[in-house]
Amino acid sequence: MPIEFKGNHALFLDIVTVEEAETLLEWLQKKPTAKVNLADCVHLHPANLQVLMAAKPVIKAWPKDAGLRSWLESALLE
Amino acid sequence: MNPLLEQFLSEARDFLQGISEKLMELENAPGDAAMMNELFRLVHTLKGNSGLFDFPEMTRVLHAGEDLMDAVRNGRVAYSQLLADRLLDAMDFVGMLCDEVESDGVMGKTHGTDAARLGASLRELMQSDDGQAPDQASGQAPGKPGAPGAPDVATAAETKEPDPEASAQLPLAAIPEAARMEAYRRARAGDPLHWLVYTPSEQCFYQGDDPFFLVRQTPELLWGGIEARDPWSPLAELDAYACVLDFSLLTAAPRAALEEHYRYVADQIRLIPVARLALVLPQGDTNGGPVYDDFLSDALELLRAGDLDGLARNAGTMLELSNPDLWIASALRWLRLVLETEPETEPESPAVLDALLESLRTFEPPAWDGVGAVAAEGSTQRDDVATLSAEEAEALEAVVATQRTILSQTDNPDWLPGRIQSVAAALSGCLRVCGDSAALPGLDAATGDALEANSGAALLAWLDARFPAMAPVLAEAGAEHPSVSPQLPTESAPAPSEAPPAAAQATPAPEGESGGVKFGRRAEDAIAGPKSLKVDQTKIDRLMNLIGEMVVAKNGLPYLAGRAEDVFGVRELSRDIKGHYAVINRIAEEMQDAIMQVRMMPVSFVFQRFPRLVRDISRKLGKDVHLVMEGEDTEADKNIIEALGDPLVHIVRNSLDHGFESPEVRAAAGKPVAGTLTLRATQESDRVVIEIKDDGKGIDPDVIKHKAYTKGLIDEATLERISDQEAVNLVFAAGLSTAETVSDLSGRGVGMDVVRSAVEKVNGAMTLTSVLGQGTQLRLSVPLSMAVTNVMIVVSDDQSFGVPMDTVVETVRVPQSAIRTIKRSLATVLRGRIVPLKSINTLLGIQAQHKANADDELAVLVVRLGDETLGLLVDDFRETVDIILKPMTGVLASLSAYAGSALMGDGSVLMVLNVKEIL
Repeated sequence: MPIEFKGNHALFLDIVTVEEAETLLEWLQKKPTAKVNLADCVHLHPANLQVLMAAKPVIKAWPKDAGLRSWLESALLE
Repeated sequence: MNPLLEQFLSEARDFLQGISEKLMELENAPGDAAMMNELFRLVHTLKGNSGLFDFPEMTRVLHAGEDLMDAVRNGRVAYSQLLADRLLDAMDFVGMLCDEVESDGVMGKTHGTDAARLGASLRELMQSDDGQAPDQASGQAPGKPGAPGAPDVATAAETKEPDPEASAQLPLAAIPEAARMEAYRRARAGDPLHWLVYTPSEQCFYQGDDPFFLVRQTPELLWGGIEARDPWSPLAELDAYACVLDFSLLTAAPRAALEEHYRYVADQIRLIPVARLALVLPQGDTNGGPVYDDFLSDALELLRAGDLDGLARNAGTMLELSNPDLWIASALRWLRLVLETEPETEPESPAVLDALLESLRTFEPPAWDGVGAVAAEGSTQRDDVATLSAEEAEALEAVVATQRTILSQTDNPDWLPGRIQSVAAALSGCLRVCGDSAALPGLDAATGDALEANSGAALLAWLDARFPAMAPVLAEAGAEHPSVSPQLPTESAPAPSEAPPAAAQATPAPEGESGGVKFGRRAEDAIAGPKSLKVDQTKIDRLMNLIGEMVVAKNGLPYLAGRAEDVFGVRELSRDIKGHYAVINRIAEEMQDAIMQVRMMPVSFVFQRFPRLVRDISRKLGKDVHLVMEGEDTEADKNIIEALGDPLVHIVRNSLDHGFESPEVRAAAGKPVAGTLTLRATQESDRVVIEIKDDGKGIDPDVIKHKAYTKGLIDEATLERISDQEAVNLVFAAGLSTAETVSDLSGRGVGMDVVRSAVEKVNGAMTLTSVLGQGTQLRLSVPLSMAVTNVMIVVSDDQSFGVPMDTVVETVRVPQSAIRTIKRSLATVLRGRIVPLKSINTLLGIQAQHKANADDELAVLVVRLGDETLGLLVDDFRETVDIILKPMTGVLASLSAYAGSALMGDGSVLMVLNVKEIL
């Protein structure tokens, strides 16, 4: 699983594909206080990104990949 | 190149031809709905076909064309000349792409812009009220309409300094300072900066796209940001799979690289050149203080005094004292960067610094208007001329030289004013393309003077002043192309001898002037012809007949040689004729082979209908059948392939209808529920063998026997002694159907007998084997070609007859004493086997005895008849010959004993026996 759900923590790993978006959305709908750890994420499909942008969970850790981090910050830091 | 692509290209040309024909016809009859539909269909099909390949540019243009045609045929858009023009343009573009694919095997990657522009120009016709849309879609910077004569922004963008004001409209402030500074340095180093906005279509996730991945891979990416198109809907209603993200990014890659990277989505991106100065946006807390006033006044003084080092020192000290988060600190950092990177010689540098210092005072973003003007005056000449490509520089040089020659003419004709004006127009075009608009007033003034004086001298003087280096160059003249003038960059100058003479006529940057690239090839241009040719079959048939006649005529030569020797006694001549015959024979055979190749066709031509047929029928019957096809690329003569079509369909339908059991029965019998029908084509020497095999219930010989008996096809005695294989073969007997019930698929009296005779008509043979409960196998063997038949000539009662070689097994001579009479039939023993003998004289009703040779032996031609062999008693054997078998026509057609006739080399007619019929 590219996303590991533990309690209200979601851990993004490696490449998060388009298939995960639905699961992620459902999970976030149930967990309004969700926290997301992107540290080990290398790439995520924009469908997932949309979900994160709409749900605005707390980002616990940004990706280690500087390029990805900069992109995500532009989208998720409002 | 793979065959699919080859076929696509060949068809694409037909389609393009059809499209332009239809378009032109429509010009005469714009209201013809049927023709419009036809046109739509052509464009639609071509688009669909192009989608099979990796030609996004082609597909995009065709798609736009298709949408437009759809709008026209539904009456939403009126047909117009303009529409036809644009469609023709688009089709020329597609044709050009095809040429490119054909010659290089791949499509060039530089057509993205053209494709997008053509697509946009087509779509524009659909939404003519929204005229600005195509400009944006094609990636042109907004606010720069392509005024006539002005260089096209899309093509000239890289040669021109981007407009700082236009760049100021961009949300550059969202970019972190560090990234902007990096971009600034890159721009200073000569890299083009582009702001790219990518708006993926909402459906793109469903097409497997990952726009985020695409933007992350953008070449020379400096910064990127993601924004939602609309405010987010509540989480419960969110559709994660509708893409509503916009991507914007700053890159230092050349335009061409970006266009290539985004070529699949060229209509979803906008590219805007970014001016370096627009990046200089100080940010931060504006809490300043009077402390800075002193610094400012000092700095201004230093700047005026030209002490840039001092300014840099001061700014550095000030920066160390300031909180880095302050606006002022940010402005100072920029000041330092500008000081570092701007060369002192740069005329605009002081203005830039001035503006920065001014903004330090006002806490406003620096205003670049003044700088822009300075830049335009001071630097365009250097910058823009410097960015002309080698080709452009060369063309420019050629144009200027031509104008100079015209002006230098000392004659004073009536049309001199016109001549001066035309020179002026050409020169003003040159200046525009160079971006040297500042020089235009000077040109106008010189033109005015020249017209007034009615002499080219004034203009020539201006020209010499503007392009000084050209004068001596022209004086040196001619053969050796000079290096370019000092105003043109020497580093981009072409190697002297490379300059093509045609450049003299070329206008500089031709695509820049017209505002649109034309793909039109004039009618007189040589067009790369398609490699394949569609030929009416009658023409090939005629060729085939002619070859046939040639084979016959060729066969006359040995006869001639024989006559030369026997009748006229000229042995030498006979030998010469024979030698020549060998040559002609070889050529004729090759020609025959070549034409056969033309007529060859893969079996897939008939096979391709079966997947659909099997699917439909098996569903209808509630059976589960899996079709396996092998050897579809086996080739045979077109006539043969076509003749096989109907029999094969019939066989397959039979198999499906009463060969396969229903799934329940199969399951009960322990077979896999899904039956397997195998169609296999193979080549065996000069024959094509097609096997149709099913794993159904097979044919029950007992059932067949009894059916045949009750129908009166066999008598009781036969019923008793017939073998199972023979019984199975009874399905070929006329009037027998194995189906228990008549369905709409079979059992309508079109039995296997009809199938068999259809196969035999093309000299084919058919065998059937069946194992009860395990399935049935039909084996069709047909000749590769039916054009030339190899026959053996036999003689009986001094008459010659031909027997097709494919029925001949061997020729033997049997001693009269070895021929026995069993009851009233003759027979002999050959290699331990009893071979029944028939006399050809008896069969044909010839009243003559067979002649034996000196050793009292009779000639026996052993022929194959189905699975049996049989001996034909003849008088003598002759050679085998290739003949063109002509079927019997007219009243003779009813004589089934003969397969046909053929003309022999000596002019005689050879009757070819139909061995199956006479026995």
